[in-house]
Amino acid sequence: MSKAEQLSASFRDPSGFLFTDSGILYRQINRAYSNDYARLMDSGLYDKLVKASLLIPHVEVDQFPAESDAAFKVIQPERVPFISYPYEWSFSQLKDAALATLSIQKRAMKLGMSLKDASAYNIQFVRGKAMLIDTLSFEVYKEGEPWVAYKQFCQHFLAPLALMAYRDVRLSQLLRVYIDGVPLDLASDLLPAKTKFNFGLLTHIHIHAGAQKKYSDKVVAPRKGGMNKQALTGLIESLESTVKKLSWKPAGTEWGDYYENTNYTDSAFEHKKQLVKEWSAEKKPALVWDLGGNTGVFSREAASSGAFTISFDIDPAAVEQNYRTVKTKKDQNVLPLVLDLTNPSPALGWDNSERDSFSARGPVDMALALAVIHHLAISNNVPLPQLANFFAARCKWLVIEFVPKSDSQVQKLLTSREDIFPSYTREGFEAAFSACFAIRKSESVRDSERTLYLMERK
Amino acid sequence: MHFTPLPYLDPGSGSILIQIAIAALLGLGVAIRASWSTIKKYFGIKSKSQDEDTDSDDVQS
Repeated sequence: MSKAEQLSASFRDPSGFLFTDSGILYRQINRAYSNDYARLMDSGLYDKLVKASLLIPHVEVDQFPAESDAAFKVIQPERVPFISYPYEWSFSQLKDAALATLSIQKRAMKLGMSLKDASAYNIQFVRGKAMLIDTLSFEVYKEGEPWVAYKQFCQHFLAPLALMAYRDVRLSQLLRVYIDGVPLDLASDLLPAKTKFNFGLLTHIHIHAGAQKKYSDKVVAPRKGGMNKQALTGLIESLESTVKKLSWKPAGTEWGDYYENTNYTDSAFEHKKQLVKEWSAEKKPALVWDLGGNTGVFSREAASSGAFTISFDIDPAAVEQNYRTVKTKKDQNVLPLVLDLTNPSPALGWDNSERDSFSARGPVDMALALAVIHHLAISNNVPLPQLANFFAARCKWLVIEFVPKSDSQVQKLLTSREDIFPSYTREGFEAAFSACFAIRKSESVRDSERTLYLMERK
Repeated sequence: MHFTPLPYLDPGSGSILIQIAIAALLGLGVAIRASWSTIKKYFGIKSKSQDEDTDSDDVQS
């Protein structure tokens, strides 16, 4: 008997859905989609997109479908090592996801197909590249039809990118509130007036928002064949050039130049790198979370052991820098993401089950918590035993750095507040963490007062 | 054969109407560009933007 379980994120599309059976991920394709699927495979579009690293590869399998009445085929897509969400991406990640979507649409149009949705959630970063993971997003193109995904593209990509570029990069967080993208009237209100002199933003956001408002309660049936292929091409190219022109340069954010402004000596830094590399090589984790990964220097040491490493940081500038490094170095197993550890991504969407919370996407084999404990314990007042519990729920192996009160970084945090942390000592830290972890190794970081630990969950 | 008569996501009335209007204008640009390159071709001038039929529009470097 099959123990198939349908995934809660893919209920909207009648073309098919994702399910797991014995831990393997499958996608059922429904009969209603058979024509479109055949075109995707037979036209050569699938091969082209997979070759260009724009679409997740899959194989057709003999697996019993989860809902056999509607089933046409079952496919097994390559498993994405970690699902991330647009509100966790840096500016360039969202921009690359937008450009990948448009590039896919252009290629699809050349082969008589079109994207029927343009959801940012359909894009994932695999081997460092923005890739479409929904094989069922294509439909046979019918000459004369407008692009049904236009509104969604503007809400999921163009509006947040424009807000990040022209107003504030932190506005990417609006995507966390609005699951179907930033409402265009809100984007239009928040964008500075000068964006009305940018043809792309004027038309695709400001005028578009006005039209939505004007026709919000009217039923309009656009005349058949109202939009020829040339017009559609023009539209896609205009969206592409508008997105390409948007830019954001990290400047003046919190930790953008963190490594240059610490009390670290080069030798302490190198020593830490060496320990992270050694310990991850020894434990061979498949998946690593670097919590507070900054620009990803230590994430890359862990990744050098072959582990897929997610480098989380609260600072969008550091994550942006990290992602740019991923691109230049062609890193295949480092994924930088924006995350506030003191308020991590919650479960979102219908029934709180469309987008997984940060914790639900774990636990992982190994977590790194380097130079982060003082921020959590002192800036955020989290008691040490609670921190130990938090990490124990996230990982089997923990590489954690203890930063004592005498360290200048901790002193800085304590200058403007009362020291209410009598147990924040090395002994207090070890005692608290020993409740959940066995301390396997501890090394004093050379030329510093800090200690690096390798702990195993009890 | 199965066709879905309507998209499963609501494309929005205003979004469709404005899209058609904008696209008509932008499509004109595409048409002009296409005829311009035909004219240039006729006179034997090589155009720089001849990547239309290639896959060189790869966005991820």
